[in-house]
Amino acid sequence: MISGKPKLRPRLLGLLLASLATPALASGVDAGWILRQLAQPAPSQTGFVELRGSALLKEPLRVEGQYRRPDAATLVRQVRVPYAETTTIANGQVSIDRSGKPPRVFSLQRVPELADLQASFGALLSGDLARLEQAYRLQASGSAQQWQLVLTPRAEALARRVRAVTLHGQGKELRCIETQPARGDLQRTLLGSAAAAAANLRQADALAALCQAGGAR
Amino acid sequence: MKLTAPQRIGLAIGWLLLLGLLTAWISSRMQVSGDLRKFMPDARTPAQKLLLDELGEGPGARLLLVALSGASPAQLAAQSRELRATLAADTQFELVANGEQAGLEAFPEHLLPYRYLIHALPADAFSRATLGDELQARLQDLGSPAGGLIEPLLPSDPTLQLLRVAEALQPATAPQRIDEVWFDHTGTQALLLVQTRAAGFDPGAQQAAVDAIQAAFTHAAGNSGSRIELSGPGAFSVKIGNRTAREASTIGTLDTIGMVLLLWLAYRSWKMPILGFLPLASAGLAGLAAVALGFDGVHGITIAFGFTLIGVVQDYPIHFFSHERPGRSSWDNVRALWPTLGTGVIATCIAYLTFLFSGVEGLKQLSVFTITALATAALATRFVLPALVDPATRDFADSRPLARVWAYTRHLPQPRWSLLALALLAGAVVSWAPGPFWQNDLGRLTPVDPQDLQRDAQLRSELGAPDVRYVIALRGNDVQAALEASERLRPALDALVDRGALESYDMAARYLPSAATQQQRQRQLPDAATLRTALAEAVADTPFRSDAFAPFLADVARARAAPALQPQDLQGTPLATAVGGLLVQGQQHSTALVSLSGLHDIAALAAAARAQGGELLDLKNASESLVADYRGRVLAALAVAVLLLSATVWAALRTPRRVVRVLLPMALSTLLVLAVLRGLGVELNLFHLIGLILAAGLGLDYGLFFEHAGDSHADQLRTLHGLLVCSVMTLLVFSLLGLSSIPVLRAIGSTVALGVVCNFVLALLVSRHPLQEQADDRA
Repeated sequence: MISGKPKLRPRLLGLLLASLATPALASGVDAGWILRQLAQPAPSQTGFVELRGSALLKEPLRVEGQYRRPDAATLVRQVRVPYAETTTIANGQVSIDRSGKPPRVFSLQRVPELADLQASFGALLSGDLARLEQAYRLQASGSAQQWQLVLTPRAEALARRVRAVTLHGQGKELRCIETQPARGDLQRTLLGSAAAAAANLRQADALAALCQAGGAR
Repeated sequence: MKLTAPQRIGLAIGWLLLLGLLTAWISSRMQVSGDLRKFMPDARTPAQKLLLDELGEGPGARLLLVALSGASPAQLAAQSRELRATLAADTQFELVANGEQAGLEAFPEHLLPYRYLIHALPADAFSRATLGDELQARLQDLGSPAGGLIEPLLPSDPTLQLLRVAEALQPATAPQRIDEVWFDHTGTQALLLVQTRAAGFDPGAQQAAVDAIQAAFTHAAGNSGSRIELSGPGAFSVKIGNRTAREASTIGTLDTIGMVLLLWLAYRSWKMPILGFLPLASAGLAGLAAVALGFDGVHGITIAFGFTLIGVVQDYPIHFFSHERPGRSSWDNVRALWPTLGTGVIATCIAYLTFLFSGVEGLKQLSVFTITALATAALATRFVLPALVDPATRDFADSRPLARVWAYTRHLPQPRWSLLALALLAGAVVSWAPGPFWQNDLGRLTPVDPQDLQRDAQLRSELGAPDVRYVIALRGNDVQAALEASERLRPALDALVDRGALESYDMAARYLPSAATQQQRQRQLPDAATLRTALAEAVADTPFRSDAFAPFLADVARARAAPALQPQDLQGTPLATAVGGLLVQGQQHSTALVSLSGLHDIAALAAAARAQGGELLDLKNASESLVADYRGRVLAALAVAVLLLSATVWAALRTPRRVVRVLLPMALSTLLVLAVLRGLGVELNLFHLIGLILAAGLGLDYGLFFEHAGDSHADQLRTLHGLLVCSVMTLLVFSLLGLSSIPVLRAIGSTVALGVVCNFVLALLVSRHPLQEQADDRA
């Protein structure tokens, strides 16, 4: 969700709406260019929408909330709908705060999925190409207006959890993250303007289209 | 029987070939065992029993701690995974852990329903409200970044009971994980725990295990530059064993060179070192063959002690060589020596017979080995060696220096009262020297570098590995009784952990509760209809499908009706090793063990164990008391041996005066050596004792030969020559051993070297035949 105040424009991952002014590259894009676009100093925040499908559920679970970076070393995932939950990742620890329950704090090592999230996000946000390239092989494609960056894990341990992470963006804005786990279905996180556009969507197909095509339509 | 030179060489070669064949036969048949239990007397106390019968292969003693360092964490983690995969496929390892198996895989599919019986459940675990809360939490789990991890578990386990069990089964102080494998707290060393099947004190098997780990590591490490470090009792015994072997082989080489030079110098013939070696080699091989025929396996200690004790046979050919002279047939020569030599051999053999009745397997082997070896060497010297020697070209009786030495010794006074004073003084030193008389700590004989010990303690605490010395044992008439006893102990142990008296503990009941506890938990599980209703109501309020959790209903129903999980049900699962190491099932009874980590208050633990009918066992203490028992048997056998030996000498010599002259130097030397060792503050151990026995055997021969030196001046000179060569050679061999840095070798070497000097001097002063000499003087 986007902050209403003009001063606090959403900044996480360079998810700025005002991206039309970005000078378009004549030809294709490369990973370095994308990271430079996305790099944003803390604090920053952006809304997200995730749709989680499962055979156990009557319909896909739609989760809405906000990613925040209060400082360079901390990542907060705050879910607002359909339940309240705040996950804070900092200093190698995870704290999960669910309404009505005492927060659970445990080592990041115990949930490698969260460690991966922080490792890739952290590098993305600080524009640290070298660090990102340590963990992933990067492959950029598309144009400045409509780019994709595919992250393929290098380390075997990571590859056993994640097959690939695809970032979709426009100019300075990261709009969607598609994570293909080693087992199970593709998971999508819509961010920034894409999340806003998805406010009323509940169909998985529509969400997928929004993710990949962006706001180009 | 007189052979030509080529025939003699042929016969010698034939003998060597025979020895070669015997060696081949023995090495194909004999199994050297390092199992200390074979060498120990029967256990008497429960702790000894546990140490020998059951815990002889205790879990703590079979653990090897492995640390990989010197490369990036990612590389080390990959190497740790490869090492684990390789070693887990190797049957000599019972358990290989590096943190990878987080507990979920430890649970085989068909045992999954038992998760409701293994771990305690709150009373309202299956109420509508609890289920509703759990389902809401699962929905949030599903919506989290870790949703993919949780999803497959949910249909059968919406309350995540399996994770609770897995968490409970994790070691309390598990090391941190990097890339899913254990690392130390600095994150620079990957850690693994390896448990061998073989006992920690079986050096051969531990060597094989260490080699396998090294080989697997070399393969995994490639050229990453990483290093491996091994710690734990097995790794230490291998390290020390190799060091001892290296040093013993260096000393052995020096000894051989020295002996060859000495024999060449003494006899000026290159054949003598070879011929002199034949009886000893034959003796050792015959002894081994006899043990291989009579026993299942030869103990390593039997071989070590045995070869020390038969050092005396090296003297037999020397006496023979020294008495050779031109113009006299070798056969006549050996026949003349035989009464003296034979008396010594027979007396010694009869003495060693007592070990046969000691009731200790290892000592029986030692007895068979030494008796066979001594007899073989004596018979070889008597019946084969004369055929092999070249005709003598010189007579040692013609040696002027020797004659001067002998003349000088004749002017020495024959001590009487001074010996009594010496004996009293030595007796006083032996009795009143400060410090303990015996050293029972076998560990002190094979000392581990303090640095290694410190490293071991460090790794042990990083890994939360159990203490090697202390363990709690709870006995019951059967497995269930033992499990129940250990369950009753848990509250007290938990309290001790809270108080800081103990860091953590482990017991079989943690993985496998007693049947009674399982049945009690079964009674708490709801019946199918109740659970179905409660679940349906809870699911109705959530986005979950109404039929999503059918497998859960089935699992609870199965858990409710299942027969209690027994130890044998765990066979083939990783849990079996955890339970097997801590639950010892015997014929008459079972013992549940509680392994302990980070002990701070031993008295409190002992009290807690006693309160539940258990016992805190001090395995170090148990092994020390076993050593003391063992030594007691040796000493008792020796007491009988001294009587038998005296009786044999008496029967051979017939007059009390002669018997005293032969036996007095030997007895006095033993006392003197003891006094010197005690005076120097040395704590005596089994190896000193074996050294003393050898020294006494040598002393008996010295006494017999001096006493029996011969009827003529020339014969006496030849005897003196032989005895000088014998004692100088023995002194050389054992002095070098006495200089070793390894306490075991030093103990044997210093004792025998001292014994040789005392025995030679005293035998010279006491045993030589003054009447005969006076007759010679008159002649």
